[in-house]
Amino acid sequence: MTSKAKLLYSKSKVYVHPTPNSKDNIPGFVGLVRPSHAEDSGILVAWVPEDDLKVNHDYDQYVKVDLDENLVLKEALVSTPPPSSFSSYGFSVPIRDIYSIYYKRPSLGWWWGSITINTRGSETLPAIFFHDSESPSTKNEQKKRNKDFDPFSNDGNLYWGGDTFLLYLEKYAKLVNPSGSNNIFLVNPTQEDLDLYSNSNNKVAAKDEEDPFVKVFNDVKWKVLSKLASVTKFSRNTAQQLFDSTPPKVKTLLNIPEVQKVNDDFGSAKVYLAKWALGIAEEAQRSKRKSVYNEGYRKFLKGELGDFELLSIDFESERRNPIGIKEWNAFFDPIGHLVLTVEEVKERIFHGGLQPEVRPQAWLFLLEIIPWVSTDKERKKILNQKRHEYNDLKKLWWDDLENKNHDEFWLDQKSRIEKDVHRTDRSVSFFAEAEVSHPDPNSRFAETGTNAHLEQMKDMLITYNEYNKNLGYIQGMSDLLSPLYVVFQDDAVAFAAFCKFMDRMERNFIRDQSGMRDQLLTIDHLVQLMLPQLYEHLAQADSTHFFFFFRMILVWFKREFAWDDVLTLWEVLWTNYYSSDFVLFVALAILDKHKDIIMTHLNQFDEILKYMNELSMTMDLKDILERAEIQFLNFRKAIDMVDRKRQDMSSSTFLASGSTDYSLTDTEGSKAAKQKLTDHELPNITRDLRNLLSKEIVIVKEVERDPDVGGG
Amino acid sequence: MSHRKKAMLKIVILGDSGVGKTSLIRQYVDNKFSTQYKATIGADFFNRELQVDDHTVKMQLWDTAGQERFQSLGVAFYRGADCCVLVYDVNNPKSFEALKAWRDEFLVQANPRDPETFPFVVVGNKVDIEDNNKRVSTKRAQAFCRANGNMPYFETSAKEAIGVEAAFEVIARNALSQAESEDYNEDFTDAINIHLDSDKSPCMC
Repeated sequence: MTSKAKLLYSKSKVYVHPTPNSKDNIPGFVGLVRPSHAEDSGILVAWVPEDDLKVNHDYDQYVKVDLDENLVLKEALVSTPPPSSFSSYGFSVPIRDIYSIYYKRPSLGWWWGSITINTRGSETLPAIFFHDSESPSTKNEQKKRNKDFDPFSNDGNLYWGGDTFLLYLEKYAKLVNPSGSNNIFLVNPTQEDLDLYSNSNNKVAAKDEEDPFVKVFNDVKWKVLSKLASVTKFSRNTAQQLFDSTPPKVKTLLNIPEVQKVNDDFGSAKVYLAKWALGIAEEAQRSKRKSVYNEGYRKFLKGELGDFELLSIDFESERRNPIGIKEWNAFFDPIGHLVLTVEEVKERIFHGGLQPEVRPQAWLFLLEIIPWVSTDKERKKILNQKRHEYNDLKKLWWDDLENKNHDEFWLDQKSRIEKDVHRTDRSVSFFAEAEVSHPDPNSRFAETGTNAHLEQMKDMLITYNEYNKNLGYIQGMSDLLSPLYVVFQDDAVAFAAFCKFMDRMERNFIRDQSGMRDQLLTIDHLVQLMLPQLYEHLAQADSTHFFFFFRMILVWFKREFAWDDVLTLWEVLWTNYYSSDFVLFVALAILDKHKDIIMTHLNQFDEILKYMNELSMTMDLKDILERAEIQFLNFRKAIDMVDRKRQDMSSSTFLASGSTDYSLTDTEGSKAAKQKLTDHELPNITRDLRNLLSKEIVIVKEVERDPDVGGG
Repeated sequence: MSHRKKAMLKIVILGDSGVGKTSLIRQYVDNKFSTQYKATIGADFFNRELQVDDHTVKMQLWDTAGQERFQSLGVAFYRGADCCVLVYDVNNPKSFEALKAWRDEFLVQANPRDPETFPFVVVGNKVDIEDNNKRVSTKRAQAFCRANGNMPYFETSAKEAIGVEAAFEVIARNALSQAESEDYNEDFTDAINIHLDSDKSPCMC
């Protein structure tokens, strides 16, 4: 038998959270273990995964000690826990090597209290989380305290699992709680440690005047973050390579209140570290390349205290169930007045979409055919009116066929429409059959036949061609109309809906293609800001024209997702919940999802185009929408931070020294432009980007059509 | 450098919407036909290998949107083409009359080194349809091709797989000789090109 050690204290259901996903959490015990003949300073603070304990049969001992509240157990012998484990996150460290313990109580929004051990070797061990609701000993203690009407621990806070850990540790080590902080405990601190602490306090007070300190602090802060990142699967080696600044003394750092605040903010977001670390990796990688724009962005990220907000991806997005007819009906009172706010309904649709039976009603609102604030009666009236309008419009050309049949443009357009309708969504049951013989025996489709729905589609598109004369029918419109027709199953209503939809889609189709160009350019700016490393790769692959998004943007992903998903996507986009151009964030989300593959394997435009085209019908809409939302929230935050930073700069005389003149292009900056700024170091928030925050749809109308110009 | 063979021949297929560009390519690449290929939006390409004399040629066939306005963003895939195929529907005179405009548009956008000798091939598709009233006659088509730089002319049916292989073999040969002449030219202009390339950097502003 190997030499046994004595287990002095144990607490069950203490977890390491290696990834953001709770199913990856590893349960274990935290314990104090005295190896044979060791003095107090040699006592090991250990965290051992349950699985490891089961292997070496120590499990029962740990359970017993945990439940042994009166310390009747004199001898509980276990194997000495190893300093670290290759197979798990397990660790042990002698008290003499512990510099400090960071101690985070459970709080609202963060249910598990945690402790993090910092060693004298400047190492941060994985944070361990006390899952109080699962630990029998903690539950017993809480019950007992509740019975005594004293749910609080000695320090006045609610009792939690970590309390007893400190209580026991204190038996063997001197714990100093530095003034001004109740989250950090220095373990057996030397006088030097204590001095350092108070000195650094003074320094912090003076930080506004001391630029060098801010620099050191920032370096240190990043160091800490890289350490924290090592908690995750993101390997420490990689993290350290990324931060090639000389490693400062972490112990100095941990005493700084600012850093504690960082830890505070950060503790609650630890689960996101993996994502977060990847974000840093990108930044660091990118910063090695020389580019004025990106260099500035990197500086901005590294140089600001607030950069945490930007990088910590503490946004969540979760899709909800689609709205069913019951839920939808409950949105209205008996006479049809909306009882929720429009914003609430839109939020719900944005996050969940609609069930099929709700669509014929809800889409009328989303497409603003009927106002949200109206009664059933008023809506019926509007729909009747729409039916008349459609019939009148249709009659205009129907009664004029004699003339029309000599109009070359008209004939051209008509045949274009016919060709396209016969190849639009034919797999959808509505359009699949061709059992009716064609009304025009001379039509090129006379042989193949048609059906009533195909004929309705043609009529609607021909009517639109007349209704919006300057634009006319353009390829792609049949793709936009068919879902509307299938959902409403009413040509007049579908036509009204199509006209509304086309209001915002017109810019995609105008002759000079400026609307598409603008959107692809906005994607360019968006990718520069949000996925800078990918952007560089795309630039090297001559692909920053983003042409591979052309089809996706032109018909709103109609060709990329299955029918049902298209319906969901469109109703989400119609809400304009975050942005009337949320469609561009969907594009961004797709790039984000595939960026690793693109950067690793695809080096030329044709390869990238092929890859993107072949994503068609393979993408998971739910996942893409969640990513798109997170991208948007991060984007909004980035803009906010740049604005705030720019404001700080313009109001600070200190920072202005050594800067150059810089004219801002956007409106917010115009009054600051006269001052000397250093904001050439900030990412440029173009007008295109800023417009993405707007919920107002962008309407661009086609110019008047030259009679000599055909429908091409 | 002088004996470098281009790995991939790039061929751009142009023509009015609905003349059967996608169908021709799919018939040639997959031996498939469908009346329900959706209108092409944006661009896509398909690869096929072909034995030309004693070597294997890889072809990248670029399928494009037929509606004119969608061409203005097409520069990205016109560049570096080795051959351009102009397709029309033999039953649709308008699509035939548009060929010249397509040709000019291509030359402007692709900006080949020598527009005079750049190879075009004309394909009249849908010969399976019997419509003698409207039909563009073979004579008329041949005369047009002769008058416009002796472009080779083929009549095909993507639906019945008539003439498709023969057309693409000539397309491949023309593309191959075009690529070889480009290679030859590059030997003299490399020094300049390298210099220009190194100056090219993505605009970040």
